[in-house]
Amino acid sequence: MVFRKDELEIQLKDEHKMIQDGKIRDDSPLDVSDEFGALCRACRVGDLKGCQEAIAAGVNINARDSFDYTPLILASLCGHYQVVQLLLEAGALCERDTFQGERCLYNALNDRIRNLLLQYDYSKSTDPLQPFASHISSLLTRPVPKTSDIALNTATSSWNLHKFILSARSPYFQKKLAAAPETAMWKLATIPNEAYQVAIQYLYLGAVPTDLGIISESSANLDQVLTGIDKVSKQLGIESLWESILSGNDRRLARQRHQDEVTAGRDQIERWYRSNVLKYKVEIDTSKAQDVKWTRDNGIFADVLLRADEESEEQTKSEEDTSKTRNTSGLLNGIPIGPAMSSRSPSTSRKPKKSVLFPVHRAMLIRSEYFQTMFSSEFMEAQATEYLQIILVDCSPEVLEIILNYVYTEKAENIPIDLAIDVLFAADMLFIEKLKTKAAIVISTIGNGPTSLVDRTHTENGEQEVEQINVYDVIRAGWLLKIQRLEEFSARYLAYRLEEYIDEEEFEELIKESAGRIEKRQETDTIELLDDIRYYLSERFRLRFEDSGLEDIMDEDGEINAEAVQAISDSAANDEAIDVEMPKLSKALGDLNVDNEQNPSQKDPASDPPMLPAGVRTLDGEIAGDEFAADAINYQVLLGKIDTLLERLKLDA
Amino acid sequence: MISGRGRGKIRAPRRGVLGAHGDGDEFGAMWEILRSALREIHEKNASKLSFEQLYRASYKIVLKKQGDRLYEHVKEFEEQWFASQVMPVIRKLITNNLINITQGGIASATANERRLTGEEFLKGLKLSWQDHVTVMNMTTDVLMYMDRIYCHDNRKASIFTTTMGLFRDHILRAPLAATSENMITADILNSVVLDQIGMERDGDVINKYHIRSCMSMLERLYETDEEAENDKLYLTMFEPEFLANSRTFYKKECSALLRDSDASTWLRQTKKRLAEEAARCQTTISPLTAPKIAKVVEEEMISAHLSEFLQMEGSGIKAMINNDRFEDLEALYQQISRVDPAKVPLKKALQSQVVSLGMEINKSITETDFTTVQAAPENGETVEAVEGGASKPKPPSKKSTINAQTLAAIKWVEEVLKLKDKFDVMWENCFKQDLLLQTALTKSFADFINMFDRSSEYVSLFIDENLKRGIKGKTEAEIDIVLDKAVILIRYLQDKDMFERYYKKHLARRLLMSKSESADVEKAMITRMKMEIGNAFTQKLEGMFKDMQMSGELTTQYREHIRNLGDMDRKNIDLGVQILTTNHWPVEAVGGSRVEAGREKCTWPSEIVTLQESFKAFYLKERNGRALTWLGYLGNADVKVVFPKVSGKEVGPLSKVRRHELNCSTYAMLVLLQFNDLQDGGSLSFEEIQEATNMPTQELSRQLYTLSVVPKAKVLSKTPDDRTHPKAGDRFSFNTSFSSKAIKIKQPVISGLANKAESEEERRETEEKNDLYRGLIIDSVIVRIMKARKELAHSLLIMEVITQLSSRFKPDVAMMKKQIESLIDKEYLMRVEEADQPTYRYLA
Repeated sequence: MVFRKDELEIQLKDEHKMIQDGKIRDDSPLDVSDEFGALCRACRVGDLKGCQEAIAAGVNINARDSFDYTPLILASLCGHYQVVQLLLEAGALCERDTFQGERCLYNALNDRIRNLLLQYDYSKSTDPLQPFASHISSLLTRPVPKTSDIALNTATSSWNLHKFILSARSPYFQKKLAAAPETAMWKLATIPNEAYQVAIQYLYLGAVPTDLGIISESSANLDQVLTGIDKVSKQLGIESLWESILSGNDRRLARQRHQDEVTAGRDQIERWYRSNVLKYKVEIDTSKAQDVKWTRDNGIFADVLLRADEESEEQTKSEEDTSKTRNTSGLLNGIPIGPAMSSRSPSTSRKPKKSVLFPVHRAMLIRSEYFQTMFSSEFMEAQATEYLQIILVDCSPEVLEIILNYVYTEKAENIPIDLAIDVLFAADMLFIEKLKTKAAIVISTIGNGPTSLVDRTHTENGEQEVEQINVYDVIRAGWLLKIQRLEEFSARYLAYRLEEYIDEEEFEELIKESAGRIEKRQETDTIELLDDIRYYLSERFRLRFEDSGLEDIMDEDGEINAEAVQAISDSAANDEAIDVEMPKLSKALGDLNVDNEQNPSQKDPASDPPMLPAGVRTLDGEIAGDEFAADAINYQVLLGKIDTLLERLKLDA
Repeated sequence: MISGRGRGKIRAPRRGVLGAHGDGDEFGAMWEILRSALREIHEKNASKLSFEQLYRASYKIVLKKQGDRLYEHVKEFEEQWFASQVMPVIRKLITNNLINITQGGIASATANERRLTGEEFLKGLKLSWQDHVTVMNMTTDVLMYMDRIYCHDNRKASIFTTTMGLFRDHILRAPLAATSENMITADILNSVVLDQIGMERDGDVINKYHIRSCMSMLERLYETDEEAENDKLYLTMFEPEFLANSRTFYKKECSALLRDSDASTWLRQTKKRLAEEAARCQTTISPLTAPKIAKVVEEEMISAHLSEFLQMEGSGIKAMINNDRFEDLEALYQQISRVDPAKVPLKKALQSQVVSLGMEINKSITETDFTTVQAAPENGETVEAVEGGASKPKPPSKKSTINAQTLAAIKWVEEVLKLKDKFDVMWENCFKQDLLLQTALTKSFADFINMFDRSSEYVSLFIDENLKRGIKGKTEAEIDIVLDKAVILIRYLQDKDMFERYYKKHLARRLLMSKSESADVEKAMITRMKMEIGNAFTQKLEGMFKDMQMSGELTTQYREHIRNLGDMDRKNIDLGVQILTTNHWPVEAVGGSRVEAGREKCTWPSEIVTLQESFKAFYLKERNGRALTWLGYLGNADVKVVFPKVSGKEVGPLSKVRRHELNCSTYAMLVLLQFNDLQDGGSLSFEEIQEATNMPTQELSRQLYTLSVVPKAKVLSKTPDDRTHPKAGDRFSFNTSFSSKAIKIKQPVISGLANKAESEEERRETEEKNDLYRGLIIDSVIVRIMKARKELAHSLLIMEVITQLSSRFKPDVAMMKKQIESLIDKEYLMRVEEADQPTYRYLA
C-alpha cells in the first residue's frame, strides 16, 4: 500500500506531535554538529572514505541537517551508488510510508539507486544490533555446548545462566559475584517463577512478553507476578525493566524501548568487556604461553583463554608499543598470572617472541561457527579441565582483539586499514560473516582514497597520493575468499589508476592469474578482471562525455571514436569558448606526461607501444585539442596498452 | 607521481597464505597431522586432539588450493580403514548359516540358532555404523572449512556425504570373501532381517531394536551422493525385497485360509495382519513402508480372493446378511473400503442379496395370492369378497371386508419395509453410513420393487388401508412413521404415474364414501408426496379435497336456499351434493367405466328429476356455463321402508309394522322406488325394472343382488329364490316378511366401491389406459423439447425425454419411437434427410 502525499503529511504531523509529547523518539533528530556536517558533505560529493570514517566515528547516520536532509537522502539525490549502499549497510533507515523514506525514494537520481533503496525497505532493514541481542537471548535455551556457569534456583525451577552477563547487566550481581566469584549455585527468594523468567529474559536482552509469560496452570496470578517483577527489578538494580513492561502495549514504543534497551545492554557488556577481558589480558613469551594456568573460578568468569602470537618479523616495533601500554595486569581480584612474565628464555638471543592471552567466555565465542563447532565437538578444547584451556588463534593479537571487540560488542567500525586484510582472513577462518563484510567495506571505502570520482588525469595540483592498500593483495584476497565486493573494488581501483599500473610486471602476473581462474580456458573466454577494468575505464571516461551530451561520439562497443572527438573538439576550439581553460589543461597534461614518460623508462622500456605515434602530449605525450579530445585519446591509449599486454601474454580476450 | 605511491602499507598477509602454491612438503606435513588425527579419532581417542590444530591444518590446505588433494586423501584413508578394520569384524559375524539362508537354502540350524546368529550380525553391523557416524561427525567438524569452501565451490558432495557413500560401497556392498559368488553384505542383511521378520510373523519374539537400527542406517544412506529422497538405500535395496517377501508370505497365508477356514476367520486374520504390519513399520522397519506393505496385504489378503470368500457357503456375505452378523459385515466393509473405494464387490453382493430377498417376497406374495383365489369360487371377484364376508357366521372383524388381495398387498408392503429396516440397521451399524452403499441399496430396492408389477397398486393400497383403518388409535408420532414408510416406498417406485392413478382412485373412494379416518392425516400424506415427487403430482389430489370442501358448503347453501323459498310442498327429500370437477377425479376408476354407455340414459323418477332441476337452477345461478352430470352410481340415499304386519304372525318382529331406514346406493333407491307403486304381492320382472330405470344390466343385477339375495338387507324377494346373481327373467317382489333388529339398515357394500386389488383384467385395463396417457405425455414432452431445440438427433432426443420424465415414470423406448412416428405423421416433426445420424426437425 502506498500512502498519498497528504496522508503522509498527516502522519508526519502526528509523529511530530508524539515526539513533542515525548511519547516516541524521533528517528531522525536534528543534528548541527560539525561531524554530522562533514558526513553530509561527504555524502554530497560521494566521498566513500569520509563517509566510512564518519560512520566509524559514531555519527548518527539517521540524523537530519538544518534542511531536513538525512545523509541517505543526500547520497541518493546526488547519485552516489556506493555511498548509498554503504549507508544502508550501516543501518540507515529507508522505510516506505514514512516522510523521510519516501523522500529518499523520489529523490533518487537514477533507477539503480531507487531499486537499491527498495531492496532495503523496512522488511529487510534490520536493527543492526538484532543479531547481537538474539545471540544473548539464545544463550538461555541453547543446549550445546554448555556455556553456563551459574544456576539460579527457586523451589520449582532453575535457570542456567552466565556470570559475566549477570555481572555486566545487573549491579546487584556485579557486587555479589565480585565478592564470591566461584559461586555456582544461587538460591532465589520465593517470588513467582514468571517474574524471574521475565527478569532473566530482560537481562538477556530478550523482548518482554506482552502477557508476561503467565500460563494458565500457573499458581501465580497477574498481580503476584507484577509485584514479583517489581521486587526483582529493584533488587537487581534493573529499574528500567519496569518501564519496559509498562510500554508493552504500544508496538512502536515497545520497539524503540527494546532498541534502547539492547543498545544500553550492549554498552554495559562493552564496558564490562573493556574493564575485565581487555584489562586482564596477559602478555607473555610465546614459549611459555602454554604454561599459563588460570583456574576456573577466576574473577572475570572466563572459561577459556585465547592466544594470539605476535609476528616475529615485526615484533620489535609493535611489541614495544603494546608492552608499554597494556602490561598492566596485576594480581587483582584473584586473577592468577602465568609464571612466565619475569623469566626470559635464555636460549633466544634476541627478544623472545611474544604472545597475548585473552581470558574470554565461550558463551560469546560461539557466535563464531568455528568456536561453536569446536566447543560442541569431543576434541580436546571441549574437555573440562582444571585450568582454562588455551586455544591458539592464528592471527596477530591486534586482529584477535578486533575480533573479540566485534564478538562482545558488535562493533567493527574501527578496523584500521592496515589490519583490514588480516581481519578479513581471520574472520573468514572463524566463519564470522558480518565481520568479514565489515572488513571488506573498510578496504573498499577507506582504501579507495579520498578522491573517488575526480579523474586523476585532470588532477591539477599534483598532490601526491599515498596509497593505503596494496591492490594486488586486495584482489587476491577477493578471489580467494570469494568476495565480489573486493573484486569489483579492485577492478575499479585499477581502472582509475590504470596508467600507473599497466606497465608493472606484477600487473601482468595478475592478468595471467585472472585468466587462469577459469578452468579449461577457451580462446573465446574473456578475462574477468580485464573485462571489469574495461568496464570501469569506460565509466571513468564516459561519465565526462555523457555530461557533455556527446554520447553520439561513442560507437556501439562503447569505445570512442577518437577522430570524431577530434573533429568536435576542433570545432569547439574554433569557437574559442574554452580558450580560457586551455592553460590549465596543458598544465594538467604536463603532469601526466611526466608520469607517463617516467613510467615506461623505469619499468619496461621495451613494452613501449610501437603503434602509437610519439611526441603527442596526452598520455603518450600528444597535445590534444581540448579536454574531451584528451580524454578520448587517453582512453584509446589505455585500451591499446591492454591489447598489447594481451598480445604479449598470448592471451585472447 | 610514482614517487608518492606508498603502496604496500597494508601488510602482506602473513605466513605465505597468499603465495600462489605452497610446496608439496607443506601439504605433506599438514596431511600427516590430519592423518594421524583421523586414526586417533577412529580409535576414539579424540579427546587428546586439538581441534584448533587440526582445523588450522585443513584450513591452510584449502586456502592453498589443495582442497582436492585433502578430499581425496581423506577418502582414501577411510577406504583403507574400512578394509583393514571394519570389514574383518563383519565378515567374522557372517556365519555359514547366514550365507545359507541368503542363498535360499534350507537352514540347517533351528529357528532359535538362526535368530541368535542373525541378531549378532545385526548388532555388529549396527555398531560399525554408529561408530562410523560418530567418527564422520568429528571429521566433518575438523574439515568444516573444506566442506564450506572447497566442496561448495567445486560442487562436490560434502565429506560427510562422501564417506557415507564409502560406507555403502565398502561395507554394505563389499563382496564376501567366503563365497565366490557375488554376494555382498547387504544381501546378508536383507535376508537376516527378512528371516527375523518371518519369525515374528510366526509368533516368535525378536529383537526389534537391532533391526530398527539397521533400517535407520539404510534410511540415511543413498544410492548416490546427490542424496535424492527416492534414492535411499532403504527404498532401493531393502524395501522391494521386503515387499516381495511379504507378498509371497501373504499369498500363501491367504490360500491356506481359503482352503481351511471360513470367511469370518479370514476377516479376523486379515484385520490382525494389517495391524501387525502397521505396528512393524513403526517399531521394526520404517514408517515409510507403511502404506506400501498395507497395499501388499490388501492385495494379497483381500483383493486376491475376495469373491471366493464372499461366496463361501455358510459364512460368505449371504450368510452374514441373512444371519445379521454385524461384526463380520463391519470388518468386511472396512477391508473392502481399503482395497476399493467404490466397494464394488460389497455393493454388488448387497444389491444381489437385496434383490433376491425382494424377489422372494414378491414370489411368496404372488403365491399366497394364488391360494386365496383358488379357495374362493370362481364367480368373479366381486362375489367372492362379499361371500367371504357373508359366509362367516360372525362378520364384525374389519378384515373380513378386505379382500385377500388387499391383505396380500399389505403383507407385501410390510415385508418390504421389514427388509428395508434390516438393511438400514446394517447400513448404519456396519457400513459407517456409506453414501455409495446407500445409493446402491436404494437402487436395488427400487429394482425389485419395480420388478413386481403390482407394486404401485400395492403401495397405494397400503396407504389406503392405513388411512382408512390403520391409524385409528395411533399417536401422531406413530402415524408419522407410517407415513414416512409410505413415502420411502413411493420413492422407490419408478412408474409414479401408475401410482398416481391408483392413489387417485383410492382417494376418490375414500372421500366419496367418507371412509377416510382423518382429513389431517390425508393432507399430511399429500404434503409429503408433494415434497417427494413434486407439485404437479399432487395438484389433482388437492383438487379433490377442494371439491369435497366446496360440495359441503354448496349443500348447506342449497338447503338454506330451499328453506328461504319456503316452498315445502314437494316431497321432503333432503339433498346432499358432491360436485366433482371432471379433471380431478378419476371417473372411470370409481366404477363408472363399465356403465359409461348407460350413464346418460338412466331414467330418474319424477321426484328426483324435480329435485335435480331445482338444484341445477340454484347451482347455475352463480356459475354460468357449467354442465352438471348426475352420477347415480356414486351417490347414496336413505330410504324409509315400511313393512306391514305380516298376517299370521302374532309374535316376533313380524307381528308388528316395522319401519326401517335403508341406506342404499342411489341406484338401489331407483330400483326400490319402482316397488312403491306396486300393489301388495305384485312383482316386477328384471326386464321391467331395467326398462323403468334404464340401468345397465350388470349394474342392475348387482343392485338387485344386494337387495334380494344378501340376507342383511333382503327387502326384495327374488324368484327363483336362489343365491345366484339376478339375471333377465327373474322376478322380484317386496319382501314383506323382512325383519331386522336394527332400525337403520345399510345396504351391503357392493364391491367395486370398496378399495381392493384389481383383477388381472382390470389391471390390464388400467395399464392400457396408463399407456395411452403416457403416450400423450411423451408427445407433449417431445413437442416441448423440439420446440426449444428446433433440431435434435434421435438419441439425444430420447435421452432428453427420459431425463425430463424420470420423476414420473420410465418411458419405454419403443413407445417413444411410436410417438415420434405419430408426431411425424401429424407433421409436428420431420426427419432431416441430410444428417449423418437420424435427426428430427420441429415444424412450427
